[in-house]
Amino acid sequence: MTAIALRGIEKRYPPREPGLPPQMLLQGLDLDVRRGEFVAVEGQSGSGKSTLLHILGGLDRDFQGEAQVLGCDLRAVKDDELAALRHTQIGFVFQSFNLLPALSALENVLLPDFFGNGVPDAQRRAREALDRVGLAGKSGARPAALSGGERQRVAIARALLARPPLLLADEPTGNLDAQTGEGVIGLFRELHQEGMTLLIVTHEARVSHSASRVLVLREGRLQSEGGAKLETE
Amino acid sequence: MRSGKLWRLARGNLVRELGALAVSAGGVALGIGCLVFFLALGAGLHGVVDEVFPVATREVEAVLPQLAIGNLLGEQKIDDDTVARLRKLPGVAAAYPKMSLRIPAVTRYNGLFFGREIHSGLEVVAIGLPAALVGQDARANFADAGPDKPIPVVVNRRLLELYNKVFAPQRGLPQLTESMLIGFQIPIELGRSWVAARTLPGSQLTTMQLVGFSERATLAGVSMPLEAVARINRQYGADAQTYSSVLLRAQSAETTSEVAAAVKRLGLEIDETERNRALQIGEAVELVTLALGILSALITALAAVNTMQAFYASVRERTREIGILRAVGATRGDVAAVVLAEAAATGLAGGIIGVGLARSVAALLDRLARTGLPDFPFKPRSFFHFEARHLAIGIAVALLAALLGAFLPARAAARLDPAKALTES
Repeated sequence: MTAIALRGIEKRYPPREPGLPPQMLLQGLDLDVRRGEFVAVEGQSGSGKSTLLHILGGLDRDFQGEAQVLGCDLRAVKDDELAALRHTQIGFVFQSFNLLPALSALENVLLPDFFGNGVPDAQRRAREALDRVGLAGKSGARPAALSGGERQRVAIARALLARPPLLLADEPTGNLDAQTGEGVIGLFRELHQEGMTLLIVTHEARVSHSASRVLVLREGRLQSEGGAKLETE
Repeated sequence: MRSGKLWRLARGNLVRELGALAVSAGGVALGIGCLVFFLALGAGLHGVVDEVFPVATREVEAVLPQLAIGNLLGEQKIDDDTVARLRKLPGVAAAYPKMSLRIPAVTRYNGLFFGREIHSGLEVVAIGLPAALVGQDARANFADAGPDKPIPVVVNRRLLELYNKVFAPQRGLPQLTESMLIGFQIPIELGRSWVAARTLPGSQLTTMQLVGFSERATLAGVSMPLEAVARINRQYGADAQTYSSVLLRAQSAETTSEVAAAVKRLGLEIDETERNRALQIGEAVELVTLALGILSALITALAAVNTMQAFYASVRERTREIGILRAVGATRGDVAAVVLAEAAATGLAGGIIGVGLARSVAALLDRLARTGLPDFPFKPRSFFHFEARHLAIGIAVALLAALLGAFLPARAAARLDPAKALTES
């Protein structure tokens, strides 16, 4: 079963200065990810890793090529349908946590429940998710009162609330110390073992080592990492 | 998105941006405060006008045309036949003929007047009214008891107000109430005029006895029983057959205009002096209220512009947060709804504060008026009349202003590219 299928994806940005050609960030990128796979995408800064993630999450529709995510043609569906896809099928984890400062940890986890048809049994699930990431005792804390690692764990709990089949993470350990980062990676491994599809953009080897497949984004295309492991058996 | 969840999302941002939004709400409150204040002032002044110039919606007064040739030749008249015809007009419930006292009369009072010695003389203007028109306003029998008995009279309440607020304070006379005056007798000399300096043969000194106060009584004098006026006119050889006017009561307010039209078809006119005066003053009050309302609307519009700027700034500051909302499944409509909910809360707060402000300032001004302004006729207890609809209008306009102000920022927020918003530093 294919979770992600990209064909000939091109993404260009307007030229930095008039007269210069447009910047081609992604050039004919292809990608296939099976359901249940844990894929790490490496690449240098500015190589287009985050852009790829935004395209996969339906946040960026300004691209050329074909993109199917969980059976949904990202360029064909309406904006509201993409919102529904993000709401129920895709969880996001960002490098900079992206929590709403005015809401408590629990309310941040509950954020997906505010939209669409909500999330069934959201309160219980939110508490379970916080418990799972080890923050059951900090549900009422505002993000400002949490450490970087705790914020990222709240963000992961939020991504898990709707129990989506696909988790997209953008440098999830980038702002964390080694020990906290290990904890987050361990959590991703657990999710993978439970059958979730994960695609994580990273430049950290410790994340890539946990992935079942490592791809490198270079010159706008994805290439297999020479030493990448095969899918976990 | 359910309203409870929408409010929870909006509340967080409202608390965080309390300072900036308080300025917006303050602007709205100022505009709404002015609007509600002026609406209530207009309604209060209307109430005073209605008290001074009551306009009956079911009544018209038929009079002779002032410039009719038939009238000049003496052919046009209001006699019993005319009254009977008027009474039979479609839509007429009752007809009350009135007759002016057509001979001169004076009153002279020398003596104690509620503890004060006064010496005063006045020309008496009188009109005769049917007892049925005065009704319960007369506390004693309002009927002609004969030439040697006191003539019962009723006086318009507004005359008492003018006496108490203007005449009495100027001359150091006591303040009077209706109950003090009922039964009071005043001498009247029929057939005599000081202004014209003439005395009719058979002039007679008699008395008037005040039996009540009525809005039906003439403002320019006293009102006597119709039979008494006819008898006196007849006694001095004046016209006692025709009436000066006929008050017609329509069966309903809706048929009043039909009755008026039918009266005109009979060659008579409708006396609309008092009605026109009331309408003119009412229109003047409405015009001033409208002008002040427009001023308030301008203030509210400025508040809406201020709200727009505040929300543009808020949306700019929260670009990344809006990206987060989109990432977890918010539609463009959801994002706009969050911004508009915050605006609605700002507007609601501004509206409630504005209404409170208007009421407080009105109460303060009323207190100042009570203690600082001299007493004058028809001085109201309050210059303001706050109606439920004024408060509803105030809240609704506040909400509308805030929502209109936040409309463009909400649209801008909804149109944000989520990918760009998430990478906003």
